[in-house]
Formats: sequence, C-alpha cells, structure tokens
Amino acid sequence: MSDDGIRERVASTIRDVLKVDPDSLGSDQRIREDLGSDSLDSVTLVMALEDEFGGSITDNDAKALATVGDVVDYISRRVAEKSLA
Amino acid sequence: MNRRRVVVTGIGMMSPLGTTAGDCWSSLLAGRAAVARIPAAWRRYAETASTIWAPLPPIDWAALGIGRIEQLQIDPSGMLAITAATEAIRDAGIATPPVDPRKNTYRLEFPAADRCGVFMGTGVGGINSFFGNVANHLLSPLAHPGDHPDHDASALPPMPPRFSPYAVPSMMPNAVSALLGIRWSLGGPNLTFAQACAAGTVAVGHAFRAIADGAVDLALCGGAEYVGDPYGGMFRGFDVARTLAAAGDDPRRANRPFDRDRSGFLFAEGGAAVLVCEEAEAARRRGARCYAEIAGYAENFDGYSIMAMDPAGDRIAAMIAAAVQDAGGGPEAVDYVNAHGTGTAVNDEIESAVIERLFGRRPVVAATKSLTGHCIAASGGIEAAVTALSLFHQTTHACHNLDHPIRDLNFARQAGECPIRTAVTQSFAFGGHNAAVVMRRID
Repeated sequence: MSDDGIRERVASTIRDVLKVDPDSLGSDQRIREDLGSDSLDSVTLVMALEDEFGGSITDNDAKALATVGDVVDYISRRVAEKSLA
Repeated sequence: MNRRRVVVTGIGMMSPLGTTAGDCWSSLLAGRAAVARIPAAWRRYAETASTIWAPLPPIDWAALGIGRIEQLQIDPSGMLAITAATEAIRDAGIATPPVDPRKNTYRLEFPAADRCGVFMGTGVGGINSFFGNVANHLLSPLAHPGDHPDHDASALPPMPPRFSPYAVPSMMPNAVSALLGIRWSLGGPNLTFAQACAAGTVAVGHAFRAIADGAVDLALCGGAEYVGDPYGGMFRGFDVARTLAAAGDDPRRANRPFDRDRSGFLFAEGGAAVLVCEEAEAARRRGARCYAEIAGYAENFDGYSIMAMDPAGDRIAAMIAAAVQDAGGGPEAVDYVNAHGTGTAVNDEIESAVIERLFGRRPVVAATKSLTGHCIAASGGIEAAVTALSLFHQTTHACHNLDHPIRDLNFARQAGECPIRTAVTQSFAFGGHNAAVVMRRID
C-alpha cells in the first residue's frame, strides 16, 4: 500500500475517534495537546487502528505515538513488515 | 398526591422480525415468523439437542447512527437499546438537538432533563463482550505456542483480535440504561432491571410508577438483549437445560406456544424495545400522539425454583389480579392478554390455567413469542410495545403455529381487527420473578 493510502486511512481513523476534520491534520500535530485526546480517547484510537489495520499494537508501541506523523510512520513500518495490513 | 396518568407516546423496536417497530408490527400481522438453523460454527463446540434459532436481520449499524468506533465500544445489547430508543424518541416527536458531536450525544427537547429517567431491563447485558474478552484472555498463551508446548493450538478456535479497553463497560448489564442516559443527556433516575425474561416488563412497570408517583415526567423504558455469542455458549446454556424447541421435520413449525405439539421455546439472537412514556397531561399539552395509557402494574416472586414456575400458579394469579386491580378494574374488564407464551411444556400449561382461572375464556390471548422467538429480557419490552400497538390499532396478531390449543381459551387464531379497551402483558422469569403491566385504550 502506498504511503498516501496509509496516511488517508490513519487520518480517517483519527477523524472517527476524535471528530476532527481530516484535512486539518498535519504531521506535527500532537494527538494529546493539539487534538485534545484524553486517556480514554487514546486507548480508543489504538483499538480503532488495530481494527483498521488488522493486528495488535502493544502498550509500549502505543506510548511512543505522540504526533499524527508518528502514527503514520509507525503504521507504515508495520505494514512494510507485513505485521499490519 | 393523586396518582398521575401515564401514556405511551413513542415506540421503537428491533427483533428477529425487523429493525423498526413498523417492520416488526407488519411481520407480526402477516404471520412472518423468524426461524433458521443455528450457525455451523456452534456445532464445533457441542452437539446440541436443538438446532434452530431466530436470528436478527442484517443490521447496518452505521446507517442507524452508530458509527464504526461506537461499534467497537458498545456491546450489541447496548447498540440494540440505543437503536430502539432512537426510533422511540423520533416516533414520540421529541426533538433531539446535539450536545457533543464528538461523543454523539443529544438532549431531549423536554422541560427538565433531571425529570427524565431510564428504566431498562436486560438478562445478561454484555454477555457477548464477556465471551469475546474471556476467550481472548484464555487463548492468549496459544498465540505463542513455543512457550506452552503442552497446548494443542490447532484444536482451538482463532483468538479474538483484541482484549478491548471497553471490556468492562461493554459487559456490564447497566450499560443498556447508561448508554441511553448519556446519549440523550437524561439526568433523572437511571435503573437497570435484571429479572431475566421478565426484566423488560419490570422496567416498564417501574417507569410507570415513577411517572405516576411524580418522580419523573418522562421515561425511556423497555428491554434489550443480545445472546448470539460466536461460540453458541448462551444457546448451549438454554439447550442443556432442555428448554429449547426441537427442529422437528419442519423448523418453521417448531415454535408453537400453547399448542399440543410444542417442544420448547425458540431462542432468539436478541432484540430491544423502548417505549417513551410521559405524564398524560404534559403529553396532551405538547400535542403528542398517544398509543395507550399504562394504567396498572404488579410484580411478585414465586419463591419456588430457580428455573421452574410453581405448578400451582397461585403467585402469578395473585400478581396478575393485583395488576388489574391497580388499574382500577376487575378481571371482567380485560379484553386482551399478551401472554408470556414461551412454548415450553410446563410454562404454557401453568399460564393457560391461570388465564382461564382469572379471566375465563373471554379475552383474546396472543403469544408474540410464537413469531419473534424468545428475546429474553427484550421480550417484555417487545410485548409491551406490541400491546400498546394492538390497543392503538385495535388489531391483534395471531398465535403462530397454534393448531391444537392445549386449553379452550380465546387464542388469537388469525390477525385482524380486535376491539380492546383493557390489555394485560405478563412475563415470568427464571429465578421466579413475575410481572404484569395493564394498558388501556386512549378514548
């Protein structure tokens, strides 16, 4: 899958969880501070990403996902490794 | 304070017969029953005596306002409750301006939110989520077979994909009520009733009392249930207790409450019904259409067996008589009985004897479960909704597959016009909980 395709799926998942406009999402935006995600939103986002990409994301991996760009990079790497789809 | 009058102004329903009250009602009148073979996957776990059930129709949750994230967060029992409540509120003509789009919450355009309550029944709440999460938990070691050489991973089903962060709120039974209170910002009492197959009826009864006594002005009430877990565990639980209908030569003929050839109840995948109930004067002032008045309620307890009704039937007879008296009439006033009518040998025998003892053979007797299957705690809500619709339309559905009635009662043998002024809907549950609601036609 192309990077654009992954970025789009990540953006639509973030939009569904946090109800933010996907067009306004920038790579540097911080999920907690800028998008207003609280701790329950954060676990929901991880669950939704697992559902979207068909695999599991460990707590340790999830903790490192601070920005939108972090999520896109992380998912892209996992898809390249074929541990997510 | 004088007791206030209570009316039903909105109805929503999800059942094996359809995903709206209108679809359920027209299937009931047309005698379109729900029955199918159980999923093949369930047979991998056990050879059950019964092999049929009443599945829900395919449901497009997103089209019903429950998005993909909520589908991951909420057990099907909760989604059924929300969907039926959404329809009921819309049907009541109450506007629902949004409160928080991110949380998908609204408020009712009704004078005071803290005088609006929720009273819902459920038998097992989020049992489906419980199974999924526990299966994940139990099978986790098998995901790493090298660490557990004694396990034979190939003999077991695939592990569910995740242990959900919503494991607890999706399995707790009170979620069916809490979800409605959150979604529509209702600050009044928010109660969940767990009297198994009578829970929906108990919930409607307590909503009626809360409005009549002045504790609330509006209530969402009814029941919701989902027991179609992917492992067939709940089905097996009822099957081993030998309560379920045998498929026989023709599964379409298997579900036959009050018939000589009945063999048990038809297990339904789930369902929900929610009624909007209001104080009558307030409903009149806002020009609401009223389906029926709720006029009386009673409940009691058999104190006999965790799974069987007391064969004497004295307690249920006393309870139904008390409900009719609570409505200010006598048994001679009752024109229609929506029976519990499960189709088990013992229950139908006792219930039909009690109906004859209390009412003789005058009132029309309808068994909604003959068409819907048994939706456990949702059934009390569904049958309250069907009773209100029957009063409103002055029409009854028929008892499906009733060829040889076990008693000479006025069973509804065909759907059609049916003059009803006073109606009783009654439920009896595992545990021994008995409850009946009395409704009246709006003049």
